[in-house]
Amino acid sequence: MRVGIPKALLYYYYFPLWKEFFVQLGHEVIVTGSTNKKIINQGSKISVPEICVPIKIFNGHVLELAAMNVDYIFAPRMVTVEKSKTFCPKFLGLPDMLRYTFCDPQYHFIMPYICSKKEWGADVKELVKDPFLSQYSENQLREAWEAGVKKWQKFQAICRLGYTIDEAMVLYQKEGLPPQKEKNQDISIAVIGYVYEVYDQFVGMEITKRLEALGVNIYTFEMLELEDLKKQLKAMEKTLFWTFANKVFAAGLHYYHQPGIDGIIHVTAFGCGPDSLSGKMMELDSDKYGKPFLTIRVDEHTGESHLQTRIEAFTDMIRRKKLAKK
Amino acid sequence: MKLAFPYMGEGSVAYHKLATMLGHEAVPTLKPTQKTINIGVKYAPEFACFPLKVMLGTYIEAIEQGADTIVSSGGHGPCRAGFYGELHQKVLQSLKYDVDFVIFDSVFDNPRRCIDNVKKMKGNNSFKTVIYTARTVYRSLKLMDEIEKQLQKMRPYEAVSGTCAQIWKNLQKEIAQAYTFEAVDRLRKDTQEMVHAVELIPVPEASRLRIGIVGEIYVVMESSVNMEMEEKLLGLGCEVQRSQYLGDWVDFHLIPHRISKPHELEIQKIGSEYFPIGIGGHARENMGWIKYFAQNGFDGVVHILPFSCLPELMSQSIIPQVSKDLNMPVISFPMDEQSGLANNTTRIEAFIELIKAKKFGSMLTKKVV
Repeated sequence: MRVGIPKALLYYYYFPLWKEFFVQLGHEVIVTGSTNKKIINQGSKISVPEICVPIKIFNGHVLELAAMNVDYIFAPRMVTVEKSKTFCPKFLGLPDMLRYTFCDPQYHFIMPYICSKKEWGADVKELVKDPFLSQYSENQLREAWEAGVKKWQKFQAICRLGYTIDEAMVLYQKEGLPPQKEKNQDISIAVIGYVYEVYDQFVGMEITKRLEALGVNIYTFEMLELEDLKKQLKAMEKTLFWTFANKVFAAGLHYYHQPGIDGIIHVTAFGCGPDSLSGKMMELDSDKYGKPFLTIRVDEHTGESHLQTRIEAFTDMIRRKKLAKK
Repeated sequence: MKLAFPYMGEGSVAYHKLATMLGHEAVPTLKPTQKTINIGVKYAPEFACFPLKVMLGTYIEAIEQGADTIVSSGGHGPCRAGFYGELHQKVLQSLKYDVDFVIFDSVFDNPRRCIDNVKKMKGNNSFKTVIYTARTVYRSLKLMDEIEKQLQKMRPYEAVSGTCAQIWKNLQKEIAQAYTFEAVDRLRKDTQEMVHAVELIPVPEASRLRIGIVGEIYVVMESSVNMEMEEKLLGLGCEVQRSQYLGDWVDFHLIPHRISKPHELEIQKIGSEYFPIGIGGHARENMGWIKYFAQNGFDGVVHILPFSCLPELMSQSIIPQVSKDLNMPVISFPMDEQSGLANNTTRIEAFIELIKAKKFGSMLTKKVV
């Protein structure tokens, strides 16, 4: 069977795991190309106008997969991968949205529930309930998933060595682990935001590469150990409800405390609910820590020159501040 | 300690009553106005949902009237509403307002804070008084729901326009003073008499129009933020039923289901066809309500949501297909500080015209004499 995975949403975080899982089960994995104008336009056409852009992009990629002659499209229902935390409601309802948007019988989806207490886990009892996956025994599914987890752990380990997800996506397929990434530029900026916004070629416009070209060391949330993130959240009376929002928020706090970090860029999508709260809280905190904070809000209309101008201005400002201090 | 509460629908009178009956001083409930909205919008995050902004405005207005403690409900997601308290606190702090927050979360999420909060509210009263007070307030809420539901079915047909509105206004005024079971029961009897005495124009069953309102609880219940959608519909001659009433909310969220036997459980079951798991807010219930309305002789559904509401955007995504499946017209209204009255009025009038054409035969094919 040809199983299609849309290059959108959590593809950027879980792809190595998902790919290996299907390869182990004996399927061919097809991935869509990077987001482009056409994909985003066709996605916007069939989505509710005011929904956040990552969902529109996802819908666009689903249409793209349909044109690529795949047999099944993988769109798991991400429910929870952490105790008493869930995903954003848009992830919880994603399969239902797909069911009612792509009613045509030519679409076949694989939509298992992902419920686990571990980030890389999945409840096999839930997986086997999916009509497509039910052809396998629980043991087969467990073995395939665990093989996927091995790949994913290597991918994560590479991220921890200071590589961005773009780089890790290439590196994890090579033998062994790469050396720690050198970060010897004069200024360091933390780029925080969901993986499907920062690394999406169209809306994120390769912001990490642009910053590197400006001579900046990049830090992101996936370069941090889970323990570091948890430590930040422990101090709060009440944390956010969403796994990834918490990660991004905790990473923001962590980098505020980190003396080596000179500024923070928050990449967020127009209409993103969780970010509307966590973004404001980080913005209010920026005064407290005396670190500049920049919000880059992306949507389907974003032009490239505005991003370039803003990040150039931001890095220049940080450089001058540093010079003045010397 | 001077308390303030958020305002959501006319039932909000009850919070004030609860506070005063327990011997606290409380700011009179403040129905949001354009000024409230402006204040909220100024200080709230730009992309936060509309209820958060309006509530922030309400709090600031209350603080200016002397409130020093804000009482509100919490939650544990995945809808953003559960986090309002934390963000409000942070924003008010940054504005240098000195104010306490009492946020009621589920006992299981944070037992210590919950017990502290109950102690604060309890004051020096005995538990017996607290329970009696709570029950009286609950009775008042149920009475308000009961009368409101009746009036929503009568309003379009009243012979003397304004009679029903008068009864409703009167009830709101009286209920604030009904401090005992007996007083509430007496009020029920009096009000029921008034309701039965309303003179109605007889309208045959076949030519009645029934519209259901579903959506996010705050914008559905609070008329000042939904541009008086309900008034508008009643004025256009439609009977109206909402998916949300304060008493029903209490039944479902605060009282063990074995005792309250809420209707919402049934609705949730119907809604599971569309969203097998709860995705936050009332998305699942709303889908259930749409189907319920379709099966119970309603002619159309108005779906109101705050702009960028997470769960309601998911229901809005599936509504077009569901509406087709059920042969039930549904119209969605996103609400925020940018919504214009004329735009909404035009849309709702056109919607009702289309429903009439669907129900009574097309206007276009009818011969005009």
